[in-house]
Amino acid sequence: MALSGIQIYKLLPQTNCKDCGFPTCLAFAMKLAAKQVELSACPHVSEEAKAQLAESAAPPVRLITLKSNGHEIKVGNEVVLFRHEKTFYNKPGLFIRVRDDQPADAVKAAVAAVDAYTVGYVGMDLGLDGFAVESVSGDAATFAAAIGAVRTVSGRPLVLISKDAQVMAAGLGAVDGEQPLIYGADGDNWEAMADLAKQHKAPLAVIGSSLDELAELTEKIKGKGIEDMVLDPGGRDLSTSLVQATQIRRLSIKKNFRPLGYPIIAFPCDAGDPARESVLAAQAIAKYAGFVVLGDFSPEKVYPLLVLRENIYTDPQKPIQVQPGLYEINDPKPESPLLVTTNFSITYFSVANEVEATGIPTWLMVADAEGMSVLTAWAAGKFDAERIAKSVKTFNVEDKVSQKRIVLPGHVAVLSGELEEELPGWEVKVGPREAVDLPAFMKQVL
Amino acid sequence: MAEHTVTFDIADEPVVVPTGTMLAEAARLAGIDIMQPCGGQGRCGRCAVQVTSGSARSRSAQRLSPEAIEQGFVLACQTVVEGDLTVVVPPQEKVERRLTTDRVAAEIAVPVGYDPHSAQTIRRFSLMLSPPDMADQTDDWSRLETALRQEADIPRLRVSLPLLQRVGAILREGEWQVTAVLDTETWDCERCLPRLVDLIPGRVPHTMPLWGAAIDIGTTTVSLWLVDLITGKVEAQVAEYNGQIARGEDVISRIIYAGKSDDNSREMRELVLGTINELFEKACKRVKASPAEVAKVTISGNSTMMHLLLGIPAENIRLSPFVTAVNQIPTLSAGEVGLDINPEATVDCLPGVASYVGADISAGVLSSGTDDTDAITLFIDVGTNGETVLGSREWLVTCACSAGPAFEGAGVRDGMRATVGAIEEVWVNANTFEPTYRVIGGKQPRGICGSGLISLLGELFLTGIIDKGGNFNVDLDTPRVREGEHGGEYVVAWGDGTEHGRDIAITRVDVDNLLRAKAAIYAGFTVLADSVGIPFETIEQMLVGGSFGKYINIEKAVDIGLLPDMPWDHFQFLGNTSIKGAYLALLDKRSRRRIRDIATRMTYIELSADNTFYDAFMSALFLPHTDLSRFPSVSEAMTTKG
Amino acid sequence: MAVEIPKDTWTGEVHAVTLGAIEADGGTRTKTVTVGGEKTLPFMHFEGETPNAPVVAVEIKDRRPDDWSPLLEEAWGSAMDDPAAWAKAAEEAGADLIQLSLSLTGSDGNPTTPQAAVDAVKAVLGATGLPLLVFGPGQADLDNELLVPVAEATKGERLVLGLCEDKNYRTIAATAMANDHLVIARTAMDVNLAKQLNILISDMGLPLERILMDPTTGALGYGIEYGYSVMERLRMAALQGDAMTQLPMIVTIGIETWKTKEGKVGDGVPEAWGDWKERAINWETLTAVTLIESAADIVVLRHPESVKRVKAAVTDLMTV
Ligand code: SF4
Ligand code: FES
Repeated sequence: MALSGIQIYKLLPQTNCKDCGFPTCLAFAMKLAAKQVELSACPHVSEEAKAQLAESAAPPVRLITLKSNGHEIKVGNEVVLFRHEKTFYNKPGLFIRVRDDQPADAVKAAVAAVDAYTVGYVGMDLGLDGFAVESVSGDAATFAAAIGAVRTVSGRPLVLISKDAQVMAAGLGAVDGEQPLIYGADGDNWEAMADLAKQHKAPLAVIGSSLDELAELTEKIKGKGIEDMVLDPGGRDLSTSLVQATQIRRLSIKKNFRPLGYPIIAFPCDAGDPARESVLAAQAIAKYAGFVVLGDFSPEKVYPLLVLRENIYTDPQKPIQVQPGLYEINDPKPESPLLVTTNFSITYFSVANEVEATGIPTWLMVADAEGMSVLTAWAAGKFDAERIAKSVKTFNVEDKVSQKRIVLPGHVAVLSGELEEELPGWEVKVGPREAVDLPAFMKQVL
Repeated sequence: MAEHTVTFDIADEPVVVPTGTMLAEAARLAGIDIMQPCGGQGRCGRCAVQVTSGSARSRSAQRLSPEAIEQGFVLACQTVVEGDLTVVVPPQEKVERRLTTDRVAAEIAVPVGYDPHSAQTIRRFSLMLSPPDMADQTDDWSRLETALRQEADIPRLRVSLPLLQRVGAILREGEWQVTAVLDTETWDCERCLPRLVDLIPGRVPHTMPLWGAAIDIGTTTVSLWLVDLITGKVEAQVAEYNGQIARGEDVISRIIYAGKSDDNSREMRELVLGTINELFEKACKRVKASPAEVAKVTISGNSTMMHLLLGIPAENIRLSPFVTAVNQIPTLSAGEVGLDINPEATVDCLPGVASYVGADISAGVLSSGTDDTDAITLFIDVGTNGETVLGSREWLVTCACSAGPAFEGAGVRDGMRATVGAIEEVWVNANTFEPTYRVIGGKQPRGICGSGLISLLGELFLTGIIDKGGNFNVDLDTPRVREGEHGGEYVVAWGDGTEHGRDIAITRVDVDNLLRAKAAIYAGFTVLADSVGIPFETIEQMLVGGSFGKYINIEKAVDIGLLPDMPWDHFQFLGNTSIKGAYLALLDKRSRRRIRDIATRMTYIELSADNTFYDAFMSALFLPHTDLSRFPSVSEAMTTKG
Repeated sequence: MAVEIPKDTWTGEVHAVTLGAIEADGGTRTKTVTVGGEKTLPFMHFEGETPNAPVVAVEIKDRRPDDWSPLLEEAWGSAMDDPAAWAKAAEEAGADLIQLSLSLTGSDGNPTTPQAAVDAVKAVLGATGLPLLVFGPGQADLDNELLVPVAEATKGERLVLGLCEDKNYRTIAATAMANDHLVIARTAMDVNLAKQLNILISDMGLPLERILMDPTTGALGYGIEYGYSVMERLRMAALQGDAMTQLPMIVTIGIETWKTKEGKVGDGVPEAWGDWKERAINWETLTAVTLIESAADIVVLRHPESVKRVKAAVTDLMTV
């Protein structure tokens, strides 16, 4: 069970010596409880305390790493059921399925397209993580050849799919020295697969048709010395997969049930229909999957999923911010007035709502003030003339408005002089301090 | 560069300044002090002057009405001189004085069993030295040391050069009988040699007081207690508005002002020193002593005040990641700090914890005993920063929740400080919606102070004039609730009964400001409790400090969700805990060590680090709270009054 | 190995709210729709009941909108010129509910009149038997001016009137109370704000069984995560017994999706966005299904293909 800050504090030396880099032992204990530091940062913990703390420190969902030449993907290590409780840490890997019964050229072409694919989203470049190569042929050499074909065009991590240990061995041989995911071990082949996993130091996916069966298998495999596992509980429809994934996550987080304390792999590619596949993949992303295997690649399918993954895995502990930018309210024209505010959501909403209610077409520039309200941001130096002027430039405001006049929130009237200097040729007006007074101000003054 | 002549109506002579000089600066050169309560940021509108002829350019005329602008009024802090000018300076608003610590102030109890021998670091010894002769040519200093060794078992001493220069003369003036005042130990150097603080010719009778002072530098008020270190008694209590107010009412404005130039920083320093030195004069006069007799001073105050006093740059206090230059300040002397007392006097600035949790809070924890109890205690300094401490003997956590100045009457249209003319308590009839109120000084009201605002908000809420979200119910059948320029408002006093002839009202914007202030404070409590994972119900006592603290009506403060709903006997109002802490640290070295420990072990929780505070704040931004189950006694009151 | 599945035991449940009234109950609808009533988190059928499936409302307008995506124009065609025809088309496309948004102005550019609003609502009621949600144009004064006569002219229909917001809830709540309708309480992506508005409205005397809440969401890529987490939190609070959060939730996904560049525009966007139509429909569908899985009871959509996909997903999710 996770210990609270105070409980951990009681196990620490309580000397406030600051060697850990924190001002007090309690501050360190709180960080430790939040899993933001390692216990080893305190050089003075007693052995006894260490033992007690280690138990609470082990992640309930095991961290699994896939490696290939130059690429690495980590999944697992999650500590909550709902993202608002803390955050989800390691984004699930999105893999595209490749079948070994395809001609090598077709495989290469498909893989190359995926490998090259990136799409921009709020300043980030998003892309897919790797390939799941499936043995359809059942033939070891064909499988190895297909893997070889993939490797000629992409170095991204792999999931190898076959239940035949010999085929798998050939596949693993084709990527010797890498750490692909072996998929997978079931009730029949688990011993041979476990041997392969051990030999190649690769994580092993375990397939069961029920949680009971899965837990039994992982325990047996663990008995053979395999620690890194991934679960496929078998559900392929929206209802079953949601319930299974939830139960597994609950067992690991709430009950610290080790036999199911591993990431899950999901196969939306089995849906048959691309529309249904998207919906299944979206569910897997939001609801606990560690690996998501997609069928054929198409940008219109993948782009929404990549964005969803970013959204679900953003840290909800950061203040709720709106995206900085130039917002259009009531369909502004070039001559419409321009207001500026910060990107703290509440500030933005109160301003936007008041302006919207006036019906006056308006440009609202939201400056990046690191999610602080006007006064706080000003006090902390995050909303000053320089930043506002920078926003005017970044958002190309000059191209959109014909009237070079900007209205500052009344609370930062102090900035007007400096802003005039930063924005030569602009007129700086001071608006009211409170959003509720905006309608009157806009009607009378603008 | 072109120069212009600026003529102020109330100045003796015109001044000549270059183009671009700020009007406020020109006034200063002309010897006129224009109040700049917001630190010259164009936010308060209180520095308005009237330009009757000539040309000036204003950056901002915010806070001025169109009529005023028409008449040539400008903000002196936002206007630059561009040609010859004639300026009329309207009568400046005088800072009203009604400070509680005055002659009538309650006597302060000396800590039980105070014994200067064991507790006090400042010691006074009367010494009889053998005069030198041809047979004994020992130097003066050794002679003094020898006498001390024999009398007090103190073998050696440290001394400053200026004092050393005078030793010979003093010994002879007293005809080899002298009284030595030593500082035997400081918190930052327990093994250092004792230091000679004062050497007085002749023998000072041991019943004569030995003076020390405890000072609290508040953002608004500076208080000073003059203490006889022999008896431990507070012999005089004086207070005065902090002279820096003229350059900014809140700490942020002052940091910005001081940060603009070295001159500004020096000015800020001089302003507060001026206030303190005046207080020394006044207090010493009252006990017929001279400031030069003061041997030790202990100073408390928030981190910004401490930095500005010492001339240490304070900019980083306000800028993320919000770090002070120093939390534990070494022992200094009065001369270097700039106090007009014995320049050798020890000046001990108490330790702070973080940018917004300063020495005033460490001192508060000390004097409230929060660090020395088994009962889980919540200690709050109700004020702009809303510093809160939660803990007990075992652990202490603290935070500051920037409540804003609404409870000090600022940022509220008819708000004012708790001085004569302020409405300090309000009752509203639930059927007629007519108010009854009490005014400080008993005369016609001029505005509403913090306690008045709390009580008014509580009444408006319980009578349904505003809903739980603070929206006015403008459909009520009373002329007192009306549509004002900021939405709904409630008239507390009609113009024919007020001092200035204008209606005194509380507006929708005021209500929002008050809600935010109370929500911030309450959210601070919640976050502290959550940070250590203890349920609110386990809090056994609630200590309220801050000079404002003692005026609050608990019941109303609970009604609006400012203070937690706890049994009455859990609450205790302590007044100015900061100066009390300074007083204890001045008297007793054990208390001084304790406050060092307090500052070291208090764990500061940064509220802007994540969303927990924001969530708690939003949920407290309601009357009394979104989660009514936290306020059982208020739900009951609502059913009976509403 | 027998794994013991942990089951959450909840003390609270969501109110079941019925939209629309049939003739026997004072309305003219041919069917009513009940939402809410959940006793567990979304689709956790193994531990508690989800008596009513989430439903899809289709958004139509009182006149052809000026700023809708060409993809939507293509999908609805000439039906967009007539609210009655549009409502019928929406019903055929699989809508469970019709959501009529009143425009700010008529096609002549003058503000929509109360009479025009009443006419549009009546026309839609005449064209379909489905329950109806009516939203004002989104400006406090005009909303009040239009929704009050609409509410009065349709007394007893159990329409859903939108939107009550914290600065403007009294008039709409009062008319809903007087004329036997329901309201939507909309707040800006915050658990506490949502709860506060519910308290304020119920303090006026409108029973909780007649309030839906809209915690507001952004579309995928534009703040969906806030809506997602706020709904999860509200639903958990409801199940934990917090009365003021035990309301079914509605989110207006159509308007959010179709104002994003990904939905609205086909030209001048990155090639990596892929085929416009499929991407846009994916955008709306994934936003909807993700939010349904986080606890939405009603999703308002715009494209008929998304309606089809979302309904298929709901059927799948409701299978025990
Ligand atoms: S290093 Fe250890 S003992 Fe020192 S302050 Fe940090 S936690 Fe406390
Ligand atoms: S407006 Fe000039 S000092 Fe405040």
